[in-house]
Amino acid sequence: MAGRAPRDGQGPRWEVFKQDASDKPHQAVGSVHAADPEHALLMARSVHARRPAAVSLWVAPADAVFAVTEEELHATAPWTVEEGGSSRRFLVFRKTSHRRAMTFVDHVGVVDAPGPRAAVAAAVDAFPEPPALTWWVVPADDVVASPEDEADAWFAPARDKTYKQQSAYGLLAPGKHKRAGGSS
Amino acid sequence: MSGPHDLDPALRGALIARLTAMADDELILGHRDSEWTGHAPLLEEDIALANIAQDEIGHALLWLEVRTGLDGSDPDALAFFREAGDFRNVRLVELPRGDWAFTMLRQFLFDAFETELLERLARSSYAPLAEAAAKAAKEEIFHLRHSGLWLERLAHGTEESRRRLEAALEQLWPYLPQLWQAQAGDAALAEAGVVPEPTGLEEAARGRVLAALARVGVASPAEVAPNPGGRERHGEALVALLIDMQSVARADPGVDAW
Repeated sequence: MAGRAPRDGQGPRWEVFKQDASDKPHQAVGSVHAADPEHALLMARSVHARRPAAVSLWVAPADAVFAVTEEELHATAPWTVEEGGSSRRFLVFRKTSHRRAMTFVDHVGVVDAPGPRAAVAAAVDAFPEPPALTWWVVPADDVVASPEDEADAWFAPARDKTYKQQSAYGLLAPGKHKRAGGSS
Repeated sequence: MSGPHDLDPALRGALIARLTAMADDELILGHRDSEWTGHAPLLEEDIALANIAQDEIGHALLWLEVRTGLDGSDPDALAFFREAGDFRNVRLVELPRGDWAFTMLRQFLFDAFETELLERLARSSYAPLAEAAAKAAKEEIFHLRHSGLWLERLAHGTEESRRRLEAALEQLWPYLPQLWQAQAGDAALAEAGVVPEPTGLEEAARGRVLAALARVGVASPAEVAPNPGGRERHGEALVALLIDMQSVARADPGVDAW
């Protein structure tokens, strides 16, 4: 993973995958800029897991992600795959719904393949249901997880912190400070 | 011993002084960290440091709430309506924020000390204090990871980052021992198991700092005599900080909600 040069003075971009509970999959929640994987995990914790529930985070360099949509997969040209060479392990993620969500693809499993295109082909066979709209495959060696033995320090404090909606802040001296547009 | 009513008056006074010192350290450091909001070198670090600032201010509130249990004092009144001369923070935390290396190194030195302090306070014979410390300790592990990561990267980053780190260390070093310097009532509190035994805490905190510096290959400056004066002595920087920190609360002291 060495040699990923900073591109815009902020360091490379890392995709962040958050797991909300141990029986739920890791889900893509966005990205962070950071110097290296350890830094990326700390930034991911601050940016993506300060408040919401989480039990684990993964980060992967954005340029290690191979993404393909269902349309691209079934375009006129046949889907060619890498052949020969030694097999690597890939983590497979997919999006299965058009429903609006805060997350993108969900982790569904792993495949072994000689390259990312072959990994996608293997993923289509291995995980046929429900039909995927988008596939992401990421070499397992590029994915770094938050330390399990520190999970409590990373994620427990968020449980006592709640979002405060605007309405949580009391109205000062009714009549003196009127809200715009009457009630809200 | 477990609750407020089990403390004799001398210990109660000593514990109030100790809690105030700990709260003021956290509050002033938290405010200094918050000064980076909108100015940090990376957007992600801006958010991360704002989180840490909130955590430190949250720890200050934990200590002040334990104090409320002893004397009924109001944490907001203590934070926003005391003058600089009544604050009991160490000088280390009030120094102007400096550059990123200075901010991260100061945070590391404080985190290294606080990690050792909280670990021991979580075993305090005074139950409300032990409970508050256990809560803060969780966040502190993460703080130390963050500032420790920067210590390493500043040391091994570029010539400039190394130079800035070493300059910050020279500047901060004389202020470090005040963190573990005992106050008048601390010996009696330690005797009663309320706060950690001062020499053990000092040894552990100093050891943690020296080990971290050795690990990143930065020479620790020569030992210096602790900065003279106790926690009632402050620099002008604190006065300016308080004007900023207290201005909103003082603009409308009778306000019901905000």
